[in-house]
Amino acid sequence: MCWDALDLWRQGLIMADLPRRIIKETQRLMQEPVPGISAVPDDANARYFHVIVTGPEDSPFEGGLFKLELFLPEDYPMSAPKVRFITKIYHPNIDRLGRICLDILKDKWSPALQIRTVLLSIQALLSAPNPDDPLANDVAELWKINEGEAIRNAKEWTRRYAMDN
Amino acid sequence: MSGEEYESDMDYTDSDCGDPGYDDYYNNQQWGSEADNDIDSEQNKKDPEYAIHECLKVEEVERLLNENVEELSNRLQITPSLAKVLLHAHEWALQDIILKYRNDASGLLVTSKIKSSHEPDSSIALRGARTGTCLVCVNTLSLERFAALTCGHTFCKDCWCMHFEVQIIQGISTGIGCMAQDCEVLVPEDFVLSLLTKLTMRERYQQFVFRDYVKSHPQLRFCPGPNCQIVVRSKELRAKKVICSSCKTPFCFRCGMDYHAPTDCGTIKKWLTKCADDSETANYICAHTKDCPKCHICIEKNGGCNHMQCYNCKHDFCWMCLGDWKAHGSEYYECSRYKENPNISRESVHAQAREALKKYLHYYERWENHSKSLKLEEQTLETIKSRIHKKVMHASGTWIDWQHLFEAASLLARCRYTLQYTYPYAYFMEAGPRKVLFEYQQAQLEAEIENLSWKIERAETTDRGDLENQKDIAEKRRVTLLKDFLEV
Repeated sequence: MCWDALDLWRQGLIMADLPRRIIKETQRLMQEPVPGISAVPDDANARYFHVIVTGPEDSPFEGGLFKLELFLPEDYPMSAPKVRFITKIYHPNIDRLGRICLDILKDKWSPALQIRTVLLSIQALLSAPNPDDPLANDVAELWKINEGEAIRNAKEWTRRYAMDN
Repeated sequence: MSGEEYESDMDYTDSDCGDPGYDDYYNNQQWGSEADNDIDSEQNKKDPEYAIHECLKVEEVERLLNENVEELSNRLQITPSLAKVLLHAHEWALQDIILKYRNDASGLLVTSKIKSSHEPDSSIALRGARTGTCLVCVNTLSLERFAALTCGHTFCKDCWCMHFEVQIIQGISTGIGCMAQDCEVLVPEDFVLSLLTKLTMRERYQQFVFRDYVKSHPQLRFCPGPNCQIVVRSKELRAKKVICSSCKTPFCFRCGMDYHAPTDCGTIKKWLTKCADDSETANYICAHTKDCPKCHICIEKNGGCNHMQCYNCKHDFCWMCLGDWKAHGSEYYECSRYKENPNISRESVHAQAREALKKYLHYYERWENHSKSLKLEEQTLETIKSRIHKKVMHASGTWIDWQHLFEAASLLARCRYTLQYTYPYAYFMEAGPRKVLFEYQQAQLEAEIENLSWKIERAETTDRGDLENQKDIAEKRRVTLLKDFLEV
């Protein structure tokens, strides 16, 4: 069996196992993508999404393209998807490892939420950082003491890590 | 009604649930571990740390809770399941709930998360009159396969069931909420049980619910003893001593940890955390080592004079002022810089850390010592046993004559226990006259304990009076200290 055929076979098997909810969501993400966000399932794993979020206008992240990974756990949608920034980002609610502090990814998760709404919330978090509920302490500290410098840092990181790649 | 029933239930003697206070008198007597309960109830009343309590089995607790549920559901004409949510949300204060319900029923139901603060709305996308699409699994199903809470958020029964299972696996039971976004409404027990199919899940759910109820009930506390199923009930909601009748574990009724008078719940937690973490290691390094001024390697001075030669870079320097040794000239073993300004070392961070460490070790050593002595209690009892055996064999008194020794040993253990817990208290105490008084009383107690210990080891039939006297003194010292400093 050649590799392509194996892949197709594997994919078919995975698709067959996939809950209708995930298939529907994936289809809709493809057909009516959210402006500024792209989410594409991995070829080998339909529960793993390659996500790209564009930095919102009028934010220090404007002009940047941020890569994220999104994984739907076994008990999705009863449990929240796992999302992480892959591109380095200077943000008080996102730590060095790209982990995101967002209520709907934790205790405020509801099975009625979707991949789409989660990604929209993450995009909104980029527009409105919340240094009072920090994950990256040093960043949040600076954001509170000297917002100007923090924003300059965020712009610098955006330019350095989130552009031209 | 149940309010008064509580009162009569608490009566120690006529409890109907196998309270072992008196039944087990002779069984417990054995090696004096239970002497606390038995010596006499008069003494217990004088004892500032004693709290009236009873030990309940799971079924008894269930009965107690169910009585409350039944009464509330009858009084307010609501389902038992809703009554449980109300009681759980209000620490089982039945009268309080009834009062609030009469004042503002709707408001109470909203704050108790039984009712939504919004108008009921429906998350079900109707397709004609007979079918709908579940928003969670996006399957289209006939209407009888849907269910909703009072908030109106409708999802298919399979999704509800899966939601419950995922929550239960995470240990959540009474806290399971509606699946809709931003909906605060909690799922009552009957709704969960009507949809949960797997037997193992149902059992786990019910266990967790029971655990949550006991934890929310201010009068109930799980016995912390390993694998012990007993729930202790006391109306005194304070940091007092209760003893499990089944596994004999004594513990603080308020925090459920090892009993800790005269130290309070918060302080003992701080102390235990301090002892457990290794911040003291850092403190030790800070106090006993300095970095080489040239190569910055960490050096521990374990003796010798102040002329140091770095093992790593062979740099010669003075341990006191960390200056180059060459500048010290003729005063070979003395640092003149230090002599001129002895504060160099006292002001330094090292010195402060050393002071802090010394203080901590002072209290910690004593705490550890008494803790070790207590652990040797079994051994002490064995020694006493063999001693009594010898005495009786040599016709020096009868077995009954010697029983008082066990009582004395148990009293000694109790005094030592209190003494042990005076050290964390003193450690966190601010300097001042009160601390002086405390440490005076502590020293007195310690002296009497040592006296008592000495007398127990060398007891003869002839000096029983002396021993009784010493017992009394030690206990009086202990109680005085507790009365003056125990804040419960």
